[in-house]
Amino acid sequence: MQLILNSFIAGSIYALVTLGFNLIYSTTKFFNLAHGAMATVGGYTVFYFSKTLGLNILLSVLFGLLVAGFVGYLTNKIVFKPLRKRGATNMVLIVASLGLLTAIESLIAILFSSQFQTLSNNQVTQKLFHIFGGVVTQTQILIFISSIIIMLGLMFVLKYTLFGSAVRAISDDEEVAKVIGIDTDKILTIVFVVGSIIAGWSGILTGFDTGLTPILGMGLLLKGVISSIVGGVGRVGGGVLGAFMLGFVENFGIWYISSEWKDAIAFGVLILFLVFRPHGIFGKK
Amino acid sequence: MDYLVHILILFSIYGMLAISLNLVVGYSGLLSVTHAAFYGIGAYATTLLMINLDLNFFLSLLIGMVFSGGTALLIGLVLSKFKDDFYAIASLGFNVIVYSIMLNWQTLTRGPLGIPAIPRPSLFGFSFFGNFWFLILVLFFLIITYLIARSIVNSSFGRVLKAIRENELATQIFGYNTKYFKLTIFVIAAVMAGVAGSFFASYVSFIDPSTFTMHESIFILSIVILGGLANLRGAVLGAFILIILPEALRFLGLPNEIAAQSRQLIYGVILVLLMLYRPQGLIGEFKLK
Amino acid sequence: MELKIKNLSKSFEGVKAVDDLSLELKSGIVNGIVGPNGSGKTTFVNLLSGLLPYDKGVVVIENTKIKKMKPFESLGYGVTRTFQDVRLFEQMKVIDNILIVLTKKDVFGSLFERQSDYQLNTALDILKKVGLYSKRNELALNLSYGQRKLLEIGRALATKSDVYLFDEPFAGLFKEIKKDVIKLINELKKENKTVILIEHDMDLIRELTDQLFVIDAGKLLASGKSEDVLANKKVIKAYLGN
Repeated sequence: MQLILNSFIAGSIYALVTLGFNLIYSTTKFFNLAHGAMATVGGYTVFYFSKTLGLNILLSVLFGLLVAGFVGYLTNKIVFKPLRKRGATNMVLIVASLGLLTAIESLIAILFSSQFQTLSNNQVTQKLFHIFGGVVTQTQILIFISSIIIMLGLMFVLKYTLFGSAVRAISDDEEVAKVIGIDTDKILTIVFVVGSIIAGWSGILTGFDTGLTPILGMGLLLKGVISSIVGGVGRVGGGVLGAFMLGFVENFGIWYISSEWKDAIAFGVLILFLVFRPHGIFGKK
Repeated sequence: MDYLVHILILFSIYGMLAISLNLVVGYSGLLSVTHAAFYGIGAYATTLLMINLDLNFFLSLLIGMVFSGGTALLIGLVLSKFKDDFYAIASLGFNVIVYSIMLNWQTLTRGPLGIPAIPRPSLFGFSFFGNFWFLILVLFFLIITYLIARSIVNSSFGRVLKAIRENELATQIFGYNTKYFKLTIFVIAAVMAGVAGSFFASYVSFIDPSTFTMHESIFILSIVILGGLANLRGAVLGAFILIILPEALRFLGLPNEIAAQSRQLIYGVILVLLMLYRPQGLIGEFKLK
Repeated sequence: MELKIKNLSKSFEGVKAVDDLSLELKSGIVNGIVGPNGSGKTTFVNLLSGLLPYDKGVVVIENTKIKKMKPFESLGYGVTRTFQDVRLFEQMKVIDNILIVLTKKDVFGSLFERQSDYQLNTALDILKKVGLYSKRNELALNLSYGQRKLLEIGRALATKSDVYLFDEPFAGLFKEIKKDVIKLINELKKENKTVILIEHDMDLIRELTDQLFVIDAGKLLASGKSEDVLANKKVIKAYLGN
């Protein structure tokens, strides 16, 4: 039972990452590997404001989200948009995103040291919930619930709002979207910011749940990429499903093999899907 | 003086890594982000052979080449199914898998504890224990690597690689089974990386998986792109710059930990700047478009 | 080199791009393939050069029955082609674009092969033939549009194949260069090669081709001597619509 719970929680975290990642991929059609850095930025911003400056926790979280969104905005404005405008191939974009990921995470390591930090308050012990024999912390419930809410929220926005249809139009065909008058630059900027905020949120939650390290973003990102590919790149709902599937496979997998192999299992799944079903479970060919 | 020798040894090792990766990325257009895996396999294979079986360094080196080449054959076969950005992602995946294996197959590799006390090479009674002699040895291998790479690049095979990079389908129309060409260069590059790994292991006398992560692959990639894609001298130049730079930082009195992160920060930024303003690197003949 | 196409079919997601096509292409003449946009001409060329696998049908080249062909096998069967969207090796020199055709095709052979004088001279001759000798050390991406088309053709000529598939080689060319290309095609005719020309320009078709095949919606609409086909009412209707 604990296994199932762990799977759900792992899946939720991956889902949060993949939601933002997929949103960006569906519109820009490239793998933004720097997305992971937004999670790290979010988490550490909260750390800075709450632990170092002593600010109220809710306010710190707000700042964390804003800063993550802002950094995401910057990466798009300074790096990705100019590259895409000059017609750069996906390879160039991936290399640039790798550079950004590396740079941002090392900057954080310099500013905050590579040591493991935790966001949770040491005095207050986490409320524990017992569900059918398994144990989850309050944070973990929050992770799960927020991932569902955000997923539903995103799906609602995409389906029922004007903004959502603009995003879907761009995903379908950016050129056509421009022709019919959609301000693709503005929409993409918003997509980047929203995606980065969601990523920041996942980083913050991870900070509360398991703690912060400068490379947490990279780890989350890679799982996010795997989830997206398993579920179908570019499909919001698919990505989330992929995330949960990944969570399950990982946790049940380590039941048989020891837990350190979790990453290898995850990437094994990635390779398998890339070879046999690159469009994922729900993606179109 | 000692310090200079130390830097030059590192430079030689990374020079081999950069030259070999350039063959794959620069000449063949395959965005491989898994080079550190082969670097690590060479290091571990040589180490284990020397320590557990008491084999001579040079023999271990040779066998290490077989291991890195063999793994590259398998990984290359799977990677051949991908193009462009998917290729990059998949290669990253393989890097993580290999790293995981290094970390978790503890009975073989001692996992995160690493393997200490790796001996220096010795040949016919002469030991390369002295750093100066080790430098001579590794420079020698760097030169050999360079010459082999140059020979490949100047042959008809080299021309085919470039054509594959430019337009794989058109290359096929003119009679080339490009899959074999790509696989071959991938394996050759992996073998060279394995050799670099063997020297690294022997030089620092202690290895652990943390050296061979995807971060390292990205670092080697940035050396290659900085120096210039499809230019062997560029690879060497890139290695020279990106190895000397962080050492210079150490002189500024930065504590070790920060110096390492600063290096990472610098090459991360360099990568972004290169993509934005100079995708062909310093003296490259080819730009990522 | 006689090229017989029998019942060739290819569908994409239910849509028949090439539908039970059967033709005979003879050597020593220029075989024209025309048809409205989307009629399946390019699919047809892609099938013949091994870029796409056939769903059904057989291609017979000089008594050799071919049921499937990989792109890199096409040269072995004596087939070469140009591309409508000119696929050159952009960041390589013009001379290298030709040399690539001449060097060893197997991995081991090419690893140990250095450029020979014979190869170099052959390549230079081709360049002279298409008028690009002076540009031999330029990068392909620096050529003008017309020069790029000429290089594509030169590359195909260098293969010394028996079957040449030219996919809209005249598109967008100036008059002078068009004359050069016409000359090259006529030379191939004289050398008794099998030339297959896909074109839109009816004047060129009239001038160059001997046999004409009209494809519409993947099917063969008409075939025969060019003058006859061009006067065919059905053909005119297909082009002009209603």
